[in-house]
Amino acid sequence: MAKTTLAPKKGFLSENPSVLRFLGLLTVFTLIVTALAEGFGAGVISTSFLKVLGMTLCLCLIAVAMDVVWGYCGILSLGHFAFFGLGGYGIGMWLMYARTEGIVRTSLANAPIPATEGEVRDAIASQIFSVVGSTELPFIWGFAHSLTLQLLLIVLVPGLLALVFGWLAFRSRVTGVYLSILTQAMTLALSLYLFQNDTGLRGNNGLSGLQNIPGLLHLPQSTIALWFFWASALALGLGYLLFAWLVSGKFGSVVRAIRDNENRVRFLGYHVESYKLVVFTATAIVSGIAGALYYPQAGIINPAEIAPITSIYLAVWVAIGGRGRLYGAVIGAATVSLLSSWFTGGGAPNIDLGFYRIVWTDWWLVLLGLGFVAVTLFFPKGIGGLFDYLVRKP
Amino acid sequence: MSALLEVSGVSVTFDGFRAINNLSISIGEPELRAVIGPNGAGKTTFMDIVTGKTKPDEGRVLWGEASQNLLGMSESAIARAGIGRKFQKPTVFEDQTVRENLAMALRNKRGPFDVLLYKTNRHARARIAELAEEIGLSDHLPRRAGDLSHGQKQWLEIGMLLAQDPRLLLVDEPAAGMTPAEREHTTELLTRAAQTRAVVVIEHDMEFIRRLNCKVTVLHEGSVLAEGSLDHVTQNQQVIDVYLGR
Repeated sequence: MAKTTLAPKKGFLSENPSVLRFLGLLTVFTLIVTALAEGFGAGVISTSFLKVLGMTLCLCLIAVAMDVVWGYCGILSLGHFAFFGLGGYGIGMWLMYARTEGIVRTSLANAPIPATEGEVRDAIASQIFSVVGSTELPFIWGFAHSLTLQLLLIVLVPGLLALVFGWLAFRSRVTGVYLSILTQAMTLALSLYLFQNDTGLRGNNGLSGLQNIPGLLHLPQSTIALWFFWASALALGLGYLLFAWLVSGKFGSVVRAIRDNENRVRFLGYHVESYKLVVFTATAIVSGIAGALYYPQAGIINPAEIAPITSIYLAVWVAIGGRGRLYGAVIGAATVSLLSSWFTGGGAPNIDLGFYRIVWTDWWLVLLGLGFVAVTLFFPKGIGGLFDYLVRKP
Repeated sequence: MSALLEVSGVSVTFDGFRAINNLSISIGEPELRAVIGPNGAGKTTFMDIVTGKTKPDEGRVLWGEASQNLLGMSESAIARAGIGRKFQKPTVFEDQTVRENLAMALRNKRGPFDVLLYKTNRHARARIAELAEEIGLSDHLPRRAGDLSHGQKQWLEIGMLLAQDPRLLLVDEPAAGMTPAEREHTTELLTRAAQTRAVVVIEHDMEFIRRLNCKVTVLHEGSVLAEGSLDHVTQNQQVIDVYLGR
């Protein structure tokens, strides 16, 4: 025993073999998908399915963030999709603006009198906002012309929202189910606000055509999809690494202690609220980045994407996959979201019982609900918990 | 011996019930002090007030040479100022190992970013080994704290308290659920700790208090009934009436 006390320092990865294993699997998965993709060669995986896979990786990333905030820190946030959506809107604004600018400039190029910058801006505004009966460019689009600034906003907007919201909530010691309700209220309020036509983000029309990347319009979607798939895999790998590092070591120890008994942690001299705020904000930022990678693959974002129910699904994924282990979140998000698109996308054959026909698009939610209840009752540790049976420690 | 903690004229009311009534206690450094009294006398509430868990309606709680006012401070700031507390029920982090529990308590910077960039060093490992030795858990460092026996959890919590290296230890019923041999060890540990710092012990067990051999404060209905050596207070007629006689 005394030897372990003075064990030599080891690297982070060698101390956490599961992280290395996960990164290895992710790399292998990425390589296999790439080899089979339409844009690369084999063409076994269609571009639309490649996009589904890329989006799934983004969902895995937000699930990992959710696991850190809920499974490790004990904050059952039911609002993390608000941050995901804000990231999506952030990139969507640049995509729409830059693409519309391209179109406008091309059409004005042949005009006898060269158009002024103001006229170009007006034309862009009326192109984008005619759908909500406006021709003015709202002030929040002030940075939309610049990719750099807009990328900055993808980090800053979710980060600041989480910081302010978290500061107010944690400082008042709102915990447990009350905090969950507050986070639901936050995402509901944001969603309802964005549904209005005059909020500058095109109301329920949302932002569309996001799959067309300005400057790369000459490239086929199969290539673009592959790039986004790689970017999503990279983001998931880096995010996983970041959070695995965050929850390992002493910081992780304190965070798990906060989950189990935050009052006791206070009497040890740790300022619990600061820790919660760091975790909440960091996970919100990563969620925003996940959203910014997701929506160019989805092609469209609208306020329904951040309806309260989406954030509840996120919690369900993490619960099914297994809380408190990062790979559990990945398993849960990947399994449930892929199954969901299989069932609701008409992939699953409907079952004719003679007296009744089970149509999966209607019954998928029931199945998900039953699955959730079954996991809660019989596998409280989720799918990830099954690994404990495989790898029994002596 | 100068006063380290000065509680004066403190009162607190819960739903009309006066839990603490014009309480004044002064603790020196170093000092070992036992606090006794019947149930509901306000012993635990006294600790709640000092550690910032409960805010009193009136009174003052002053700390250290600079007479810092503890009442405006958060629980964590009070803990960082040098006040450690052990609860009645052992509260260790059951899901984590004994080593992790001790490492968390070790006196180090407590800010989130300091902790994030913290690296275990030789000194910290040696200190953990030393503490584990002291609390008899050397062979249990890699074990989950939840798997320890009740007595061992009490030990671990005392170890965590010592790891914090506080100037004042508030210990609520340390001997509860311990075997006689363990009690003896606890007595020894507390008296040793009290040589360099202030230690306040709440206890019901008179035999345990006798072995601590220290000044005793008797609380009754939220205020001090008697104070002095154990023999002195046990001969006090009021103390016999409200506490010992029953």
